[in-house]
Amino acid sequence: MSILNDIPILSFILFSPLLGVIVLLALPQHRSNWLKKTVVIATLIPLILSFWLYAEYDKQQGGAAFDERQSWAEIPLNKETQAAGLSEFKFAFQYELGVDGLSIPLLLLTTLVSAMASLAAIQVKKRWKSFFIWFLLLEMGILGVFLARDLFLFFILFEVTLIAMYFLIGIWGYFNRERAANQFLIYNGIGSAIMLTAFVILVNTAGFRIDQIGDQVSFIYSGSYMDIFSNLSNPEAWVNLAPEQIGTINPFLMSDTMQWTLFIMLLVAFGIKLPIFPFHTWMLKVHTEAPTSIVMIHSGLLLKMGAYGLLRFGLLLFPEQARAFAIPLAVFGVINLLYGALLALRQQELKLVLAYSSISHMGIVLIGLAAMNELGLQGAVFQLVSHGLVSALLFLIVGSIYERTGTTELGELGGLARSMPFISGVLLTAGLASLGLPGLSGFVGEFLSLLGLFETQRWLTAAAVLGIILTAVYMLRAVLKITFGPQRDDYAALKDARLIEAVPMIVLLAFILLLGCFPSVLTDTVQLGMDGLLDQLLATRAGG
Amino acid sequence: MLPSYLTMAAILFCIGLYGALVKRNAVVVLLSLELMLNAVNLNLIAFSKYGVVPSLTGQIFSLFTITVAAAEAAIGVAILIALFRMRGTVNVDEFDKMRR
Amino acid sequence: MDKWTQTAWLIPLFPLTAFLILTALGRSYRRAGVIIGSLGSLGAFAYSLFILVDRLANSPLDYNKSFEWLAIGSYSLRIGFEITNLTSLMLSVVAFISFLVQLYSAGYMKNDERITVFYGYVSLFTFSMLGLVLSDNLLSLYIFWELVGVCSFLLIGFWFTLPKARAAAKKAFIVTRIGDVGLLLAILLLFWYMPEHALDFTTIQSVFDGQSGAITNGITTLIALLIFVGAIGKSGQFPLHVWLPDAMEGPTPISALIHAATMVAAGVFLIARTFDIFQDSAAAMETIAYVGGFTAIFAATVALAQNDLKRILAYSTVSQLGYMMMALGLGSLTGGIFHLITHAFFKALLFLGAGSVIHAVHTQNINEMGGLSSKMRVTTWTFAIGALALSGIPPFSGFWSKDVILAVAWDTNPLLFVIGLATAFITALYMSRLFILVFRGRPSAASAGANESPAVMTLPLIVLAVFAAASGFIETPWNGWFGKWLTDGPEEVHASGVAIVGSVAVGLLGLYIGWLVYGKKRLSLAARQEKKPWFVNMLERGWYIDELYIALFVKPLKLLSSMLLAFDTHVVGGVVRFAGAAVSTAGRTAARLQNGQAQTYGLAAIIGFVIIVVAIVGRRFLP
Repeated sequence: MSILNDIPILSFILFSPLLGVIVLLALPQHRSNWLKKTVVIATLIPLILSFWLYAEYDKQQGGAAFDERQSWAEIPLNKETQAAGLSEFKFAFQYELGVDGLSIPLLLLTTLVSAMASLAAIQVKKRWKSFFIWFLLLEMGILGVFLARDLFLFFILFEVTLIAMYFLIGIWGYFNRERAANQFLIYNGIGSAIMLTAFVILVNTAGFRIDQIGDQVSFIYSGSYMDIFSNLSNPEAWVNLAPEQIGTINPFLMSDTMQWTLFIMLLVAFGIKLPIFPFHTWMLKVHTEAPTSIVMIHSGLLLKMGAYGLLRFGLLLFPEQARAFAIPLAVFGVINLLYGALLALRQQELKLVLAYSSISHMGIVLIGLAAMNELGLQGAVFQLVSHGLVSALLFLIVGSIYERTGTTELGELGGLARSMPFISGVLLTAGLASLGLPGLSGFVGEFLSLLGLFETQRWLTAAAVLGIILTAVYMLRAVLKITFGPQRDDYAALKDARLIEAVPMIVLLAFILLLGCFPSVLTDTVQLGMDGLLDQLLATRAGG
Repeated sequence: MLPSYLTMAAILFCIGLYGALVKRNAVVVLLSLELMLNAVNLNLIAFSKYGVVPSLTGQIFSLFTITVAAAEAAIGVAILIALFRMRGTVNVDEFDKMRR
Repeated sequence: MDKWTQTAWLIPLFPLTAFLILTALGRSYRRAGVIIGSLGSLGAFAYSLFILVDRLANSPLDYNKSFEWLAIGSYSLRIGFEITNLTSLMLSVVAFISFLVQLYSAGYMKNDERITVFYGYVSLFTFSMLGLVLSDNLLSLYIFWELVGVCSFLLIGFWFTLPKARAAAKKAFIVTRIGDVGLLLAILLLFWYMPEHALDFTTIQSVFDGQSGAITNGITTLIALLIFVGAIGKSGQFPLHVWLPDAMEGPTPISALIHAATMVAAGVFLIARTFDIFQDSAAAMETIAYVGGFTAIFAATVALAQNDLKRILAYSTVSQLGYMMMALGLGSLTGGIFHLITHAFFKALLFLGAGSVIHAVHTQNINEMGGLSSKMRVTTWTFAIGALALSGIPPFSGFWSKDVILAVAWDTNPLLFVIGLATAFITALYMSRLFILVFRGRPSAASAGANESPAVMTLPLIVLAVFAAASGFIETPWNGWFGKWLTDGPEEVHASGVAIVGSVAVGLLGLYIGWLVYGKKRLSLAARQEKKPWFVNMLERGWYIDELYIALFVKPLKLLSSMLLAFDTHVVGGVVRFAGAAVSTAGRTAARLQNGQAQTYGLAAIIGFVIIVVAIVGRRFLP
């Protein structure tokens, strides 16, 4: 353990896809077998490492040992230094990685879904090499988002996913791929711009700290998340000192209005990614146009980045605002849940059904977050992981069905259970997991979120519960339309899943079952990490 | 003394700028650019002699500028000749390749 | 003795193991499927029988054990099992009937290519049902509750290529889910109101039984009603009964096991398990009693006009479940559970008998049958026993259990007593109609080639017939042993002459009228005329409840969904498109500036520069 402690495991996880990229660049385009092996191995390495990390983390009861911190980009402000007679005055962005109970399950989810998606990715039909390169860059970006503990680093890696997705959709997507890619880029670009603005303000106010070593006084604008977090929650920090308290103008003070503005900005920025109700249109196109492996990642992981960002930057940094905003947040959650479900009911396209179902399920995440208690937050995190697994599985199956039948229109499919019993069985199980059947992972997240919200918002919970019925209605409608019913003649000769398809299906299904039967595997870890972080959020609620 | 040098350089620069923006003939545009560079040289020398902290750096720097200007003029004329061979004109109005 | 009870959690593992093996086998090894599946439930039955015998002999204390399933902060969700008299009895009944049904299916499903899958599903169901019965708290009960729902769904849709089976499976799942939501809300309420957030039945009992006042009356009623909503969904009570008749699209053994004997009784079991909550709320009790009573008579009238053999039995199940609910609502836990047990035997018998008939004649329409009594002797005799038990004719089991209920009703609520009697009458009437049309009369074309089913199918019939005939004697008007054992209370003897005489009289009257109409054809009823009167149509369609729901819920929901879809594409999407169009228009306008002339660009740059200089310099002249 002690030897392993010195190895920067988080950096290893973060950069192992990059290693794959380098190998891929060195390999010639026509050695497709080598390319495929490389991409699969490059996703397996972080998977194994993050499993190990997860196990170690559990034993350790805290992830501080894994944190990595290197000074990285520093911008000295020389003029100000001289003027103020300080030894140092600078912007300091760190290369800072860390894991806690919130990020480690998502990290594991990322590596798992990416590895499974890579198995789907090797069936891509054209320009393998560049596809794999973008694919690995995308994985690296997502890993980085969950690992980064510095705002600047977070932002850069967040953008890496955007660019990679843009090319992956635009080049390898279906018929309307370019439009979809553009819409994706513009919409998320707006989100990123808002996020960047908010981050800049944060660094310039809450990030400000004074270090004093001997008579060396340094003024630092820090991008470190922990600095910002502790400054915001510390009434003695500059960001919270009113002019009356220090008798001079405080340029770093963050007024109430400013806090609210930042909170709303972060809500919108990550709400677009999540997506929250009126911002959801972009993801419909992505769901329909992107290639299988990319939709798996998109639906399974990218949406989670939104929720993660919302929780980490929105709720944890601004607990007071979050608490005051709990009711609207819950309302948004219920709207998402019901709206997505009602629309999924009318879709004639399997992918669109699943896209709207994602919106609906993200509503449950919002509900869990809005509960502002441990149950709700656990439920939200659980729902994130569960939805990541389930939707990745569902889209994997959609890809397999499309490959065989050439369509995903509900009207043209039917009776597939006869010729493809395995795929149909998995589809049915995944559908049941999605509609929250106990014993499968969907139930736990749903139940905990509702249980959490029920403490504070009785009626909203009752409304949300209606969504559970609707989920059953649309999910069964779609799944049964495809698998049950009379079989079309030209589908009689379809082959069931090949080994390369069956492996990711079985693996994902195994995890869905595992989480459904033994949810404490996940919740205990989340609990470990939450203890420190959530005190603020929960304390303000209890106090107020 | 300094203001008169500076005024002189400013007038020279404005003439050059006017020529660079308005003239149709590409050769004249090139000549105008040279004028502007020389105006800058004049400034450099004037400051090096009459500035707050007189030093030789300015004069040496103007030598650099003259060298670079010569090189630039050579490249500019070479491009012009190439363009003339291709398009048969030196009228800048017709050089709108940048549009697409 | 304790070792059986303490390891009771092993019971559901038998069928679960069978399920896992069968799933791994896939569609191959057909014989192995049958054997493994049956062994699974046989093992579970043997095990639960040990426990039951132990409890009968020694009546030890209740035993429960649970472990922490989820710990979140200070909250803890647990899963565990509990052995009480009620659960031990239910365990044995479930495992017993499951075993018999699997034995029977070996013959009934012999030619189905997916017989292994079938046995897998049945094993999974048995596992879930046993788990449900064993659960020591509401959360784990809810988990298994949902699982049995899914198994029911899978088995209704077993012949998945038939669109009707698909629709029925979907309907069953969704309608029961509406009920489940009620149960879920009840759990949420209980979680936040119970001291220590406990959900286990022991604590529930002590909290509500002691009148501790920890939970106010209004909330108690709300919780009770929400639990009841769950029971309504599962037990096919009005107004959520619509899925049960449609569920007959599944294979007949399934109808016997799930949709007659075990799963649909889960609602009754749930209420019995949480009976203390209900006893705290008079309003809830009354609601249950009236809903049960109404369902009983309502479903019985519908059963009268059905022509499908299995649908008649399905409506009869709904009606009998209504009886049980009524008993619970009237405060008689004994009556409800007693009827549940006897009903499990005789209804399973009737369904398996019906399966045997369908197996022989390949139709389900009773008008196309007839004269089977001479060709299928075992089936006929066992079916007759089942029919008599259902009609409440002494000494068959149905009589005794129905008598307990009617006696309670006579004591407490005359209106429900009348409803109960009327239901008993109609029940006898439709059973005699059914029996006569199927077994008596001239053989029809369909029944001409019918033969008795193989021994593997008739053996379960005989066993069940024995139980249907004899199981009533555990609780008679002069012997309250069962009630005493079950509720651990004083021995209550409900000897009510009016109830006994009344129920026997209406039962016999019903049989007699049925015989007159269908046997002797003395009275010509509307069903025999060319043009059916409106009320027969109405009964045939089940009082148009399905149509009502389509008009009330399905259509508006679809409309709402379509409206939202339009909103989504035109308004929400419109805003996005507008934003996109605005950006590209702005871009196109700005693109005009780019004419390719380096000089223009230079000019623009100079102008910009001048503006900046003016701005900087000009600022000095401002105050």
